[in-house]
Amino acid sequence: MAQKKLSKKALGKSFRNWYYGHLTCFSQEHMQTFGYLCAMLPLVEELYDTKEEQKEALQTYSAFFNTEPQLGTVVVGMTAGLEEAKANGEEIDGEMINGIRAGLMGPVAGIGDSLVVGTLIPILLGIALGLSSGGSPLGAIFYMIVYNVILTLGMRFLYYTGYRLGGKAVEMIVGEKANAIRESVIMLGTIVIGAVAASWISITTPMVIPGGIALQTGVFDAIFPKLLPMVVVLFCYWLMSKKKLAPTTVMLVLVVVALAGVLLGFFDPQLAY
Amino acid sequence: MKIFMEIQVWQAALFGLLACLASMPGLGGTVFGNYTLGRPLVAGLIVGAIMGDIQTGIYLGAAIQVVYIALVTPGGTVSADVRAISYIGIPLSIVAVNSMGLSPASAEGQAMAVALGSAVGTLGTVLFYGTATVNLVWQHMGWKWLEKGDLKKLYLVDMVFPWISHILCSFIPTFIICKVGVNMVDLMKAYLPMDGIAMKTLFTVGSLLPAVGIAILLKQVATKPVDLLTFVFGFTLAACMGLNLIAASVVGGFFAVFSYRIKLLSMQKPVAVAAGVGAYDDDEEEI
Repeated sequence: MAQKKLSKKALGKSFRNWYYGHLTCFSQEHMQTFGYLCAMLPLVEELYDTKEEQKEALQTYSAFFNTEPQLGTVVVGMTAGLEEAKANGEEIDGEMINGIRAGLMGPVAGIGDSLVVGTLIPILLGIALGLSSGGSPLGAIFYMIVYNVILTLGMRFLYYTGYRLGGKAVEMIVGEKANAIRESVIMLGTIVIGAVAASWISITTPMVIPGGIALQTGVFDAIFPKLLPMVVVLFCYWLMSKKKLAPTTVMLVLVVVALAGVLLGFFDPQLAY
Repeated sequence: MKIFMEIQVWQAALFGLLACLASMPGLGGTVFGNYTLGRPLVAGLIVGAIMGDIQTGIYLGAAIQVVYIALVTPGGTVSADVRAISYIGIPLSIVAVNSMGLSPASAEGQAMAVALGSAVGTLGTVLFYGTATVNLVWQHMGWKWLEKGDLKKLYLVDMVFPWISHILCSFIPTFIICKVGVNMVDLMKAYLPMDGIAMKTLFTVGSLLPAVGIAILLKQVATKPVDLLTFVFGFTLAACMGLNLIAASVVGGFFAVFSYRIKLLSMQKPVAVAAGVGAYDDDEEEI
């Protein structure tokens, strides 16, 4: 029997189905499962001849799947490689493929959330906000182009690398070197987010303390420029990480803080119609 | 400055369509839908263009963007909904800021937009759960077809039927709230004086909220207390040394390369102890 090899066309279709459709039919019960099924369908159709075989192969991917979908493209590529090997009679079965999938969902979600959503997007948006600070559309256009180019090329790269390496791709994602790169990139992200906070949060007080000194310019600015924004960020961080409050609850806490501040005269936007 | 007291039917319909594309789980896909069209800065440009005032759209979109700079949805739990923030919150903010006579470039105009956008965004989580719930129906049909071996129909389940979920949970709510919301802005203006406690609090909340967005992100990346120092370092670059964001990225990038080199060296240490001389053979290896 001749070795089966997935055609470029089938792989391309599988990639595109995942790229577009991984979350289009999201539910709380089966988050990315149908996206995964649609990504595997063109491959299964090519690898197996009878309807029965195709159906059986696809059943493997009906197990629950959810991860950070952009980085998760590598997992889909890997299973493409594994499914091809399985069709060629290698000692791989559906259970093993599902074991690898289930094992990678968590780590890939953690890495993807912190690297793509928590670092890349804020850096690009931070730069875009800077470019748009005078009301210019430049920043928005910059973000639209750069993000889509990076992610489209990146996801394509991940898919085909996953396909080529199969199970060996695991090392690429959770290996020691990958870890070192990740931590360094996150460090860059944290620095940029600090700069975003300082540039974009504006909290001041009009209060005058006894002795005629303006609290803002006479005290806070003298201690550290932008002291209030930093204090409020760290307060919110403390509420979320140490007090385990949900973001929505923190927002409500801030409403109370704002009300109290207004009543005490600490906050006052000083406006009229 | 032009005054937009009303959102036209065709404008509200376009916002409805954009809401279908931009949400999480959206029909524009994750990359172009949720993470591009759904970002308030991008939405500011698009909504501004539709309403005929790009500059105001960008000013307000940028202000709201800071709150949602790191909207992570771990395991599909959301604290705010981008379709509501971007395509209900921003249009209504433009109307509100204009009709109250605030300048979109001012801190007050932006605080107004942030307060309104965040309130709408929090309420919008209903739309998220609504969409996900209606999708259950299509998924249920999908399982039956998979069972029968009717595999091609899976495409319908994944990419066609969810449009129905979105017409119900994205298009219609966006359309209606954009049309009706304009009246609410008028009511607000009539009954809540700008120097009253309610409005003062609203503006103050608007100025505080971006801190939550930054803190969400910080929680994501700062696992040890010492990581907070990295954040403060970045903060200092901008607040005290006046670096803009591109310059701060360059400085941050330099330190990131530095940190990577150090981590590589420390990875090689155990090998050096075990293998003695020659352990640095792969010193030049790059990724």
